[in-house]
Amino acid sequence: MGMNQTAYDAIVVGSGVSGGWAAKELTEAGLETLVLEAGRAIDPATDYVEHEPAWSFRFRGLGDRKSLARRQPVQRTCYACDEAASKFFADDIDNPYSVPDDKPFLWIRGRQVGGRSIMWARQSYRLSDLDFEANARDGYGVDWPIRYDDIAPWYDHVERFAGISGEKLGLAQLPDSQFLPPMPMNCAEQFVKEGIERAYGRERVMTIGRAAVLTVDHNGRAACHYCGPCHRGCITRSYFSSLTATLPAAAATGRLTLRPNSVVAEVLYDADTDRARGVRVIDAVTQEEIEFRGRVVFVCASALESTRILLNSTSTRFATGLGNSSGELGRNLMDHTMGGGARGMVPGFTDRDAFGRRPNGIYIPRFRNVTTAHPDFLRGYGFQGGAGRSGWGRGMSMPGFGADFKHALREPGPWRMSLGGFGECLPRPSNYVEIDSDKKDKWGVPTLRIHCAWSDNERTMLQDMAVAAAEMLEAAGVQDVESSVVDNPPGLTIHEMGTARMGRDPQTSVLNGYCQSHDVPNVFVTDGSAMASSGNQNPSLTYMALTARACAYAVDQMKRREL
Amino acid sequence: MLRRDVIRAVATGLALPTIDALTPDSMWAAARVIHDRIRRTRQGEALLVLTEHQNAMVSALAELIIPETDTPGATAARVNRFVDVMLAEWFDEDEREAFLRGLVDLDARSVNTFGTPFLGLDEVQQTVLLRGLDAELAALRQLNRPTNDHFFQHMKWLTLYGYYTSEVGATQELEQVIAPGRYDPCGPVRREASGQWE
Repeated sequence: MGMNQTAYDAIVVGSGVSGGWAAKELTEAGLETLVLEAGRAIDPATDYVEHEPAWSFRFRGLGDRKSLARRQPVQRTCYACDEAASKFFADDIDNPYSVPDDKPFLWIRGRQVGGRSIMWARQSYRLSDLDFEANARDGYGVDWPIRYDDIAPWYDHVERFAGISGEKLGLAQLPDSQFLPPMPMNCAEQFVKEGIERAYGRERVMTIGRAAVLTVDHNGRAACHYCGPCHRGCITRSYFSSLTATLPAAAATGRLTLRPNSVVAEVLYDADTDRARGVRVIDAVTQEEIEFRGRVVFVCASALESTRILLNSTSTRFATGLGNSSGELGRNLMDHTMGGGARGMVPGFTDRDAFGRRPNGIYIPRFRNVTTAHPDFLRGYGFQGGAGRSGWGRGMSMPGFGADFKHALREPGPWRMSLGGFGECLPRPSNYVEIDSDKKDKWGVPTLRIHCAWSDNERTMLQDMAVAAAEMLEAAGVQDVESSVVDNPPGLTIHEMGTARMGRDPQTSVLNGYCQSHDVPNVFVTDGSAMASSGNQNPSLTYMALTARACAYAVDQMKRREL
Repeated sequence: MLRRDVIRAVATGLALPTIDALTPDSMWAAARVIHDRIRRTRQGEALLVLTEHQNAMVSALAELIIPETDTPGATAARVNRFVDVMLAEWFDEDEREAFLRGLVDLDARSVNTFGTPFLGLDEVQQTVLLRGLDAELAALRQLNRPTNDHFFQHMKWLTLYGYYTSEVGATQELEQVIAPGRYDPCGPVRREASGQWE
């Protein structure tokens, strides 16, 4: 194995949402930082194609179906893995994993500089004490070692830099962010919002989505120009990604070394010092093995990749994975449920339509188990959705052809409003990942076997989403309301988390409240794996805040020579 | 597969055709069949899978579905070329053969009804046959039966998709703006509806 001679202050594994924040915070605090990214470098000037029109693609945006079926059978189940953006999704053949036959799990992955922060859906919501106290209240999982007050300043910190547009509501269960001006609702959404307000008062509130998309110029990045397909990239850097926000800030310090094509196979443990000494990297291009050394290691490779790296980091002391004295590493996998909802027609506004493609929808914060206990399930869900008028696409299922048909399609269809729930998943040890040593990826690194299934609590909640969504739409005056429940396999919501949970007790958790390994104090894990419960909010904003908080703590500890 | 791909790419909430997943064998078979035609096309204007006769039928059908009016129609948008690419590289062999059989069947209907193949008919006669096909589709939908085995379902969605995503369709019929620069939540109705991109 080759040895890199530089002794870095910090090594960051991964360059997505969490890794980008670690890079920024650590370099700005004065640390010489090496960021290792398994995938290739991305150049927005050539890789971002959000303004390419449909006709410039061979399949007009439908995607190369045969290539997707052959190389990305899992990734293509994500809506964003289209003809322009499939290059931002991992190759399923090079990056295999396995599941039991009766437990499908869709692992949607980005493997490039910027990770999934390039294709993410940008919804950004704070957790609250309703979430941080949830495990203690009902006994699932272990108690979070932090409360809202611990993380609130760090939400402030990351929001001020990232730029989150949204509307202040003053709700305890969904604390307000440091907002940029909100995007507006269209006429049909405004109609539904007012109807819900009349029917439910402050108990159920509809607001515009809180999105990491700029509505005004911010920190040198331009306001959104409403072109629409954000998942293909954004040349004006109007939505937050590590590639165009945190990594450039880190680079500006002069203390960042970013190394793409660097597959981290394991974190190396030094028995003499009882610390991690660095990482073993396989160069994705040359297959060369190289050891990099650092005083602290931040593992930010995404929940399942970080967990896989730690499970693969075995030693005499840690035979089942680095920092796994609790046995909890790999356990308590969660994702959010998605697929219960309703839709219908909004009457009126026939001479009105929205102009511009708003990269955001509406949000209805959690209202179940907030003030009164629901008899059938624990915890809750929020709704996302929106209204719009259909265009020519409806012609494909409409009778007719010819001149009249063509001209009829010039008029937009009726306003339709839809709501879809995102539900909390209970932390349970029976949802877990383990190493399948017989199955290796393209670089020879043992892969994951994922065991994950929804429990009755999630399934019951999914049914309630459909019923409640239909009730609310009807109460608001929406017509022809239809509810539906689609039982999506876990993973597809792409909020997988929890497999290296934080907790107070080293015997039952992997990390402490600063995302620091209980066992190996110079190892931090600051992505979704740290989550002790899932909440129902889109989690990336919380990963940002947890990362920034962990970095400040690590830097402080290093200054005190305790690390 | 098809259903998900199409739903993702156009307005949501439509009943669309479904086609079964591909098998590796059919993929390789398809690759062999079309390989040399692809090579020829890259050098020039050759069709990938459609014969001249099939191409003429597809062109005529597409123009009947989306004719030239105050804006150009399917022919100007080269919808036949899009159909040819889709049949060659996106459809699997079974799907492609089923589509091509639909053209043969249409000629047979034409001979039965009017005594001459489809391309020998005048536009009124062609329209009569298309109304028949379209009515069959509507009946299937009314009975909640699958429409993906019906030739005209595929002909129609390929035509619409090929037309509205072409440069002609997107710029002249839809007046599409790639970077609107603003979001107007409740503006006047324009040709390009709010959700129509990609």
